[in-house]
Amino acid sequence: MNAHPTREEDFDLYALGALEGDEKLAIESHVGSCVDCAHKLAQAHGRIALLALAAPPYEPSAAVKQRLMQQVHSDAERSTAVPASVGVPSRISERAPRETPRSGEFFHRWWAAVLVPAGAVLALATVLLWTENRQLDRQLATLRTAVDQQQQQLQEAREAADMIQSHDTVTIALAQQPGMPTGAAHVMYNAKMGMLMYDGEIAPAPAAKSYQLWLVPEDGKPISAGVFNPVSGRTDHWMMKLPQGIAAKEFAVSLEPAGGMPQPTGPMVLIGHA
Amino acid sequence: MSSETGTELRASDAALIERITQRDQTALAALYDRYAGMLSSVLIRILRDTQTAEEILQDIFFQLWSAPSRFDAGRGSLPAWLMVIARNRAISQLRRHNPAAGEPLVEATAISTFNIESAASQQQLLGRVKGALASLPPEQRAAVELAYFDGLTQSEIAKRTGDPLGTVKTRLRSAVETLKRTLHSAAASTT
Repeated sequence: MNAHPTREEDFDLYALGALEGDEKLAIESHVGSCVDCAHKLAQAHGRIALLALAAPPYEPSAAVKQRLMQQVHSDAERSTAVPASVGVPSRISERAPRETPRSGEFFHRWWAAVLVPAGAVLALATVLLWTENRQLDRQLATLRTAVDQQQQQLQEAREAADMIQSHDTVTIALAQQPGMPTGAAHVMYNAKMGMLMYDGEIAPAPAAKSYQLWLVPEDGKPISAGVFNPVSGRTDHWMMKLPQGIAAKEFAVSLEPAGGMPQPTGPMVLIGHA
Repeated sequence: MSSETGTELRASDAALIERITQRDQTALAALYDRYAGMLSSVLIRILRDTQTAEEILQDIFFQLWSAPSRFDAGRGSLPAWLMVIARNRAISQLRRHNPAAGEPLVEATAISTFNIESAASQQQLLGRVKGALASLPPEQRAAVELAYFDGLTQSEIAKRTGDPLGTVKTRLRSAVETLKRTLHSAAASTT
């Protein structure tokens, strides 16, 4: 049995579907042989499942229940049906003397011999067409989603280009504050478009801490513009949409508890005046 | 929320499952009335496709009818279990791992201490879940929603948002810690 997960929140992250690779495999291989951790994972599944309640309410059409109950009814009838019609005639035919079929009976049997296979072929064709139709519908839905995502990415790229070209966009250099971790950054901000781009390199945050970028307006409280945990030697870059029309007095990066805070609570590491 | 008859309203999930085992169709109809709205909401939110969502919804309940013993009332909560199944099926669909119709209901056990067997308790809990999500910083909430409703892993979220992977991991860890804490304190008042 491999080791217990070191962090309790790993169970929730697994239930959320966020883990991947080794982290995911570690949980899966462990809970199979650890009752306590399997119980914790089940509790995490129960907690994370509650997020479903945050989805906008939707009532399925009445036809769904109708189709379901028809399907259930047919299934119940099939499972309770006595297969007497299959066995009884054969026993009768064994006992009854053979008779020459009358012309009507012969005609009926001939039609049955033709129509039953034809019906089976038609039924099979219907099922195949229905299945193919369902697959096409699903492929279409997937393609629509992909197109939507690409359009969204394209829109974001256009907005970024517009912002960079706009005369209303200002660039503010953020300078390291005395005694704070080494770093420098700059922010491009367009109040009219409500868009901000951050580029910077800063020493990694201490354990259990994150950096948080703030837009400090001329009036009102600071607005969070991103929480980040830099990796040594790598530049952080992101674009964020903010409410439009906010005149900025300054931008600042503070050191906060991991995950960020609604308002700045820690020391200012970088500051730049607009 | 669909209405249930007076008798079914009083029946517990476990009692209705037991009646489904005895092939009682009205018990399945009662469970459908109880949870179809909740399940279809999350299916629609994930899939954004009414037809596929309703097909999956119907299939989940038909599988419950076909194999009610797959749900072990002694080990978990039926609505939580159904929600895990609905979400997993929808995410599979999104990822083009199309589950064949009639895929058996084999999913993880989900234990929930919340009572959501009635429409009133669902509404009460809905407010608490929304409150818990609203209490998260916007970046954390967005990361949780991308994971839950879009089925994205940590690195996929980082790719989608342009944030460093470490940042996304930190956000998600903080978010699930906060949600756990907030929902635990809410549990006491709904049980």
